[in-house]
Amino acid sequence: MTDEFSYSDEELIARFQDGDEQAYVELVNRYRNRLMTFVYRFVNDMEKAEDIVQDTLMKLYTHGHYYRNIAKFSTWIYTIAGNFAKTELRRKKRHKVTNLSQMGFDDREYQLPSVEPETGETAQGHFAEKKIQMAIQELPLHFRTVVILRDIQELSYEEISKIVDVPLGTVKSRINRARLQLQQSLKEFK
Amino acid sequence: MDRYQFEDLISDYIENNLSMSQRKQVEAYLEENPEAKHQIKSVKQAMASMKSMPGISTSAEFMNNLNRRITSEKEAKSVVKSTRSFAGYTPLMASLSAVVVIAVVMLGLEFMPESSNQATFTPAMTEQQINDLPVLPLKTNDSMLAESEEDSTNYDEDNPVKRNFDDKIQLVGDKRP
Repeated sequence: MTDEFSYSDEELIARFQDGDEQAYVELVNRYRNRLMTFVYRFVNDMEKAEDIVQDTLMKLYTHGHYYRNIAKFSTWIYTIAGNFAKTELRRKKRHKVTNLSQMGFDDREYQLPSVEPETGETAQGHFAEKKIQMAIQELPLHFRTVVILRDIQELSYEEISKIVDVPLGTVKSRINRARLQLQQSLKEFK
Repeated sequence: MDRYQFEDLISDYIENNLSMSQRKQVEAYLEENPEAKHQIKSVKQAMASMKSMPGISTSAEFMNNLNRRITSEKEAKSVVKSTRSFAGYTPLMASLSAVVVIAVVMLGLEFMPESSNQATFTPAMTEQQINDLPVLPLKTNDSMLAESEEDSTNYDEDNPVKRNFDDKIQLVGDKRP
């Protein structure tokens, strides 16, 4: 008997396209936390990030038949999530709800993913995480997307190039610039 | 190698994606510039910090909310499907289409000119032109036959009249005058 977890993402989406809803559930379980990490690091808002991941997985449900096996499933789903996240940020910018770039470090609010009571070590870890998260938010959007996909999601340069739909050389250059900017920001926060 | 060229190659140097000659150039630059060594170390730390950030999980309510959305999506689809029973049209659309077709036909009949309901022809001449035509003498069929010297009724099968067409026919190549 074949173990369900041995199916590749592409096999699962093919099964879902044939009407197997269990395959959809399996894809959701595989991707919801990965997408949540990507989107949260991008938009810096837990509630919005969860809404975006929901929208992405709903789109998978309603438009799953549009997927063609010419690209990796992960590329397709990250592209959808990235587009939703960018739309959300543009909307947020239009409404001018927050403007991080005009605030000082201490003024900024950060939503921590955990609400567990903190020990000294975890508090220090959260502080470090806050600093990095803030540094990421200071990056321009086109730098932010690629550096999250590379250094947090650990995707290949080729896959990132397909997700953001820019040439490989541009992706490499953007990631390099983003890392330099992050390194500079983190040095300033110390 | 200047600072900008060095900075362009930092990620490739860290990820070991440089050619041997490029790597040697970078290492030579690092030997000459201690601050560049420090920069490499800082970038490596930033990358490691990014990598070490905890993954974010969806909330406990996430799956319930998603299931709820999927259920309502399915319900919406089934409502649309059940109402599509008249060759792909909803009953409302089918009724409206029928009303429009009937209205067009009725209006068409209403505004159609009366003459177009009868078989008509347009005379090629006016009545005046017809009146001006020369009057031909009226002759009966009998009088017309009488004027003819002979007709098929006078033909005698037993004594057929031989006709000489010699002087009336001239063939191709006939040298006769």
